[in-house]
Amino acid sequence: MLAYQHGDAGAFETLYKRHRGALYRFVLRSLHQRSAAEELFQEVWMRVIEARGRYAPQARFTTWLYTIAHNLLVDHWRKKGLTLVELNEDEMVAAPDNPARQAEARETLARFLQALEALPHAQREAFLLHEEGGLSVAEIAAATGTNEEAAKSRLRYAVAKLKAVVDE
Amino acid sequence: MSDEPKVSGRYRELPREEPPRALDDAILAASRRAVDARPAPLVVPTGRQRWYFPVAAAAIIVLAVAVTVHVEREQPGEEIVTQVEPAKEVLRTEPARQYQYTPDPKPAPPAGTRDLQEQRPSAAAEAPRAPAPAAAPPSAPPQRALGSAQDSAGADRREKTDALAKRADEANAQLRQAEGARARSEVMARAAAPASRFARAAPEQWLLAIDDLKRQGQHEEAARELAEFRRRYPDYKIPESMLIRVEPR
Repeated sequence: MLAYQHGDAGAFETLYKRHRGALYRFVLRSLHQRSAAEELFQEVWMRVIEARGRYAPQARFTTWLYTIAHNLLVDHWRKKGLTLVELNEDEMVAAPDNPARQAEARETLARFLQALEALPHAQREAFLLHEEGGLSVAEIAAATGTNEEAAKSRLRYAVAKLKAVVDE
Repeated sequence: MSDEPKVSGRYRELPREEPPRALDDAILAASRRAVDARPAPLVVPTGRQRWYFPVAAAAIIVLAVAVTVHVEREQPGEEIVTQVEPAKEVLRTEPARQYQYTPDPKPAPPAGTRDLQEQRPSAAAEAPRAPAPAAAPPSAPPQRALGSAQDSAGADRREKTDALAKRADEANAQLRQAEGARARSEVMARAAAPASRFARAAPEQWLLAIDDLKRQGQHEEAARELAEFRRRYPDYKIPESMLIRVEPR
């Protein structure tokens, strides 16, 4: 990011390639709506570009990136009155080869995805930040503006609920 | 990644969605444009109005150049006259002083002429703005004795006149440069002014100002300021107590 700050456009491309997939999935699974997710994903990167002059490496770039994403998500939910939109059918899982296994895998993953969607927002966000962003508990706390205890608790609850679905 | 490998493994089985290629291209193009247009702007319009900024920047540059050229062409006329006036004064009085020269070894003149000679300086002083007389030709018979002295005095005079004229020209040039620089800096300062009047304040003060705006019933202004704030400080965490106060209802 510092290289990009000093005018190296290639440095941004490297950063973008490193984080694009994980950030996109984080936003998509937080919003459940592809068009809104794409818009917000783009907005996150635009904020990164605009804020490059003020960027100071106080934390990992990843933490900073997901902090911006978190703030935009909060704005988004506030505008929507905290209502979540259902995931479209066509965005559900597609699985490989054998029709029987395919159906079973699809069902298993669908259940898991439903459980993920059913998590309270704060827990789901903590889980996604951990899985997609690779953030530690301390970094999750920093990105979401909460303390470490709360972040740890959210992550633990999320994992426990998802584990129950996996063990079924 | 998770402490529970089963959960993490199951999560990894979910499809690995990626952003569409068009989105990648748009973001990377924006990053390159931003680098080309350094330094980073304080506030950048978002959404469909992104093109406003380059157009506005181009208009400001054209305006700045036009104003600078205009100022450089128009200004020197009036102001420089007043500045250079002292130099002209010197130019006018200098030759008069030069003509007070008297050759030294000469028999003491009669009382009447001595009086006249003694009166000359005061006469010259009384009429300092009298036009400088033309230099006497060296072959003039009555002044032959003074010829060489007048030659050297004339050369001195010309040198001094040239020097003074040069100084006046330099003063004019400096004045023009100073005027041009002042005009340019004013234009640049206006161009660099932030979109929000609170943009230079600390984040906390800015939020308090937004709160004040809301209390005064200026809700639209407050909403605009909050949007600016969000753009300027994308990673700033507004405390919940403040968020309730500044956010539009």
